[in-house]
Amino acid sequence: MKELAGKVKLVIKFFPYRYRDYSRIAAEAAIESWRQGKFAEMHELLIKRSPKLDRDSLISYAKELNLDVEKFTKAIDNQEGAAIIDRDLKLAKELDLYVTPAFYINGIKVLGVRDSDYFKNIIFKELENAKKK
Amino acid sequence: MLKRNSFLFFLLSIFISFIFLNTNTFAAEKKKKIESLPTPPVPKDNPMSMEKIELGKKLFFDRRLSGDGTTSCASCHDPEKAFTDSSEISLSYPTTRNFRNAPTLINIAYAKNLFWDGRAKTLEHQAEFPIMSPFEMNQNLDFVEEEIRIVPEYREAFKTIFGKDVNIKLIAKALAAFQRTLISKNAPIDKFLKGDKSALSDEAKKGLEIFVGKGRCIECHYGAYLSDQKFHALMVPENPKYANEDKFIVTRRYIAKINNYHDYMNIKEDLGRYFKTKKKQDYKAFKTPTLREIAKTAPYMHNGIFKNLDEVIDFFNKGGGQGNKALKPLNLTEYERKVLKTFLTEALSGEDLKIRLPDIQ
Repeated sequence: MKELAGKVKLVIKFFPYRYRDYSRIAAEAAIESWRQGKFAEMHELLIKRSPKLDRDSLISYAKELNLDVEKFTKAIDNQEGAAIIDRDLKLAKELDLYVTPAFYINGIKVLGVRDSDYFKNIIFKELENAKKK
Repeated sequence: MLKRNSFLFFLLSIFISFIFLNTNTFAAEKKKKIESLPTPPVPKDNPMSMEKIELGKKLFFDRRLSGDGTTSCASCHDPEKAFTDSSEISLSYPTTRNFRNAPTLINIAYAKNLFWDGRAKTLEHQAEFPIMSPFEMNQNLDFVEEEIRIVPEYREAFKTIFGKDVNIKLIAKALAAFQRTLISKNAPIDKFLKGDKSALSDEAKKGLEIFVGKGRCIECHYGAYLSDQKFHALMVPENPKYANEDKFIVTRRYIAKINNYHDYMNIKEDLGRYFKTKKKQDYKAFKTPTLREIAKTAPYMHNGIFKNLDEVIDFFNKGGGQGNKALKPLNLTEYERKVLKTFLTEALSGEDLKIRLPDIQ
């Protein structure tokens, strides 16, 4: 997606799936990684290594990314990201979102797993529309 | 002289037989025409009423119908996407993968076979399948009855409409009643068939000529529903994006297994209707979909392999997939393909159906 560099702003919200054992703690891990400056790297690892998202695995990923592991462990154990996660869950409820993943591209709702062509098609159209404005 | 007369008589007989045969052929082909939509058929044991349609609509949008409460019928049959989900492979229950494309529900009232493999004949029968499918809504039918029954408004509505307490068969009846209301509205082809010759552009009219002539689309896409309501093995290729994905393989094996396909562990393709019937002619055969609203229901075919109508027309123009016996190359020119696409897009698209979302308690 290099072609979109500088043209698109990506905002990620948390929506831990309530029936998965580790989704909430994985969200905590992502938030702490963000606080330590490595959100994207952790996000990538969480997707790649899923469903191995138990506490020990998450701590091993933190080590792999050279994060401050002690701080990381304390953060996930104390649920220091709870306020952010709960805020996002509230937003999802307000938007009547239940399906993951869910995307909004300039207000266009896209639900479920899609291939990159699907997103490119919408994004390029929206970029074209933005140029016209 | 006698010999000469006999010979002439012989020739005349052949000529008369030829005319007779051809007349029959033309008569048979005459039957294949595009028709405007009649009032949709309604089964005697499930008459329509406003209250039942409203109840069906409510259930259609109710996430209680899925095991984890995240998915409703509308998740994969979204009114904003012409009652599809615009996905190649339909959306799935969390952590699983579906394996076929979600067809539109617009005009589904006219369908004589439901699902790509035709495993249900009525909407009432169809409704239970996705609710209990592990890779769709993954709900237990006995359990969902209780989930609906616990809601006072639902209990009251079932009592009023059916005179009975909630049960899964009545849930299916209400869903079917709602779906029978999803009918194309004011499609240009219907106006054209009723005599408004200005309803189609000149290019669409040319496309119609290709549709019924050189393009031979009419062979399978005829009648009001624009489908022969049959199954054909066009040998549509497997969708390479998913064919080797573990979750997809799991679903395909599961389908083969529950249909008692002996070698389900080694299944590498979607065998379509064959899974159900085990008949040779159904091997990799899928239902002829309606072409009404086709412009709004991409991607196409049972596995969503074609992104747009150009790809679909190319597939048919080349004579279908490798090894198929149903199609022959059409040799359409670029112009003919273009006007055919114009016809499909312009003529068969009705007004967008506006659905007022129900309040669900």
